[in-house]
Amino acid sequence: MLTAVKPAFSVGEFLRAEARRLREWMAQRDAGLVGFCVAAVVVGAGLYGAAMGSWREPLQSLYTGIKLPLAILLTTLGNGLLNGMLAPLLGLNVTLRQSLGLVLFGFAVTAVILGALSPVALFLVWNTPPLNAATQLTSPEYGFLQLALAVFIAVAGVTGCARLWPLLREWAGNAQIGGRVLFAWLATNLFLGSQVCWVLRPFLWDPAGPPRFIGREYLHGSFFETVFEAARRLIF
Amino acid sequence: MNMNPPLPVPPQIPPPGYGPRPLGDDPAERVPITNPIAAIEAILRQPRRLMYSLRQPGAGGLIAGMLFVAVVCSLIYGVVVGSFSGHEQWWAAPVKISVGLLISTLICLPSLYIFACLSGSQARLAEMFGLVAGLLMLMTLLLVGFAPVAWLFSQSTEHVAWMGALHLLFWFVATIFGVRFLNAAFAHSNARSSAGLNTWIVIFMLVMLQMSAALRPLIGRSEEFLPSASEKKFFLSHWADCMDASYKHRSRGND
Repeated sequence: MLTAVKPAFSVGEFLRAEARRLREWMAQRDAGLVGFCVAAVVVGAGLYGAAMGSWREPLQSLYTGIKLPLAILLTTLGNGLLNGMLAPLLGLNVTLRQSLGLVLFGFAVTAVILGALSPVALFLVWNTPPLNAATQLTSPEYGFLQLALAVFIAVAGVTGCARLWPLLREWAGNAQIGGRVLFAWLATNLFLGSQVCWVLRPFLWDPAGPPRFIGREYLHGSFFETVFEAARRLIF
Repeated sequence: MNMNPPLPVPPQIPPPGYGPRPLGDDPAERVPITNPIAAIEAILRQPRRLMYSLRQPGAGGLIAGMLFVAVVCSLIYGVVVGSFSGHEQWWAAPVKISVGLLISTLICLPSLYIFACLSGSQARLAEMFGLVAGLLMLMTLLLVGFAPVAWLFSQSTEHVAWMGALHLLFWFVATIFGVRFLNAAFAHSNARSSAGLNTWIVIFMLVMLQMSAALRPLIGRSEEFLPSASEKKFFLSHWADCMDASYKHRSRGND
C-alpha cells in the first residue's frame, strides 16, 4: 500500500467541525475541502434556488437553481483579494488562500442550511396561491413569498458566518480582532453580494416577460441606487 | 490522555507600531526587503519590518519599489474607473489617477516634513518620503482589492454621480488603512504629539480630493482632456454640479 486513503468529508463532519478541526483543514492544502465546499454551494443553494423558482415555472426553477450558487461563488471570488488583504491589516495572520478558504467554508455552511431548508421552501411555495394573470408585483402572495424566502437566506447566512467566529477568535488570539475581521468580511460580502444578486435577478418572477437567464435590462442600475431612490421618493 | 498534538499556532500580527517595543527588536523585523513583492507582503503582514527597513541606509531602492507598485496598482484601478465610460477614458483615467496621486504626494511632502519636525519627530526627509510611499502603496493595493466590486458596479449603473460616490467610498476606506500605517510609523519617530500629523492628514486628503476635481473628468467623458482655466472649480462645487446633473437626467428619464 503506497498511499493512505483520506477519509472523505461528510456533511455531518463538516457541520460539526470545531475551531481546532477547521484550523487543521485550513492549514492543509486540501483540495478535497475546496471541492466539498464548492459542491455544497452548488447542491445546497441550487436546491433552494430551484424551490424558489418553482413558484413561476420549471424553467425559472432551473435558472434560479443555477443563479443562486453562481451568486455565492462570484461573491466569494470577487471579494477574495480584498478579504485576503483586509484580514492581515486588521490583525489576523492568514494567507490569501486561507482567507478565501474560510469565506468559502462560511458560504458552504450557509448553502448546506439552505439545501436543508429547500423542502420547507418548496412546501411554502406549494401553499402560496399560484401565479396567474391577476398577479402583480404588489400582490400579497408575491410579497409574502419574497419576504419568507429572503428570511430563510438571511438566517442561513448569519448561521454560516457565525460558524467562522470561534475559529477567527482563536486564530487571532483576541476576540476584538476576530470580530473586526468577521465584520469586515460580512460587510464586503454583503456589499458585493447584493449587487451580484441584483444583476442576476429575477430569482422568483418578473412580469415583464418569459423566464430568461439574464436579461439585458437587468444590467442597468444598482441595488443601492434603487434602495436610495425608493427612500428618496418616500421622504421627499 | 489527550492524543491530539497541539496545533502550531500562527504567529500573531503585532500591533502596527504603538507600544514600548523599539523597531527591529524582533529578528524577523531586521530581514531585508529585497523586492516589491516582499514589500507588499511586509506592509500587509509585518508593517514594523517595513518601518525598520526604511530607517536603514540604502532604503532608496525600497522606496522606488513601493512607488513602482503604487503606480502599477493605480493604473489597474484607473482602468476599472475608465471602464465606466470606455473610449478615451480607457487610458485617460489610469494616467490621471496615477499622476494625480503622485503629484498630490509631492505637493504634500514638504508640509509633512515640517509638521513632523515641529512635533519633535527625529525622522529624516528620506524616511518621511518612504513612509508616504508606503501609504500610497497600501492605498492602491486596497483599491486593486476593490477593483472587481467597482468593475461590477461600473458595468451596471449609468449614473456618474453614483459611480463617483462609490469610488470615493473605496478611496476613503483605502486611505484610512494607509493613514493607520503612517500613524503607526510616526509613533516611532519620537514625536511629542500627533497633532501635526493629524493636520497633515487632513491637508493630504483635501489635496487628493481637489486633485480629482482638477483632473476631471475621471469617470464621465469630456471633449477636453483637462478642464480649461475658466472651468476651475472647488471639489465640493464639482460634486454639487454632478449631483444636479444626475438629478436632472433622472427627472428627464421619468417624464
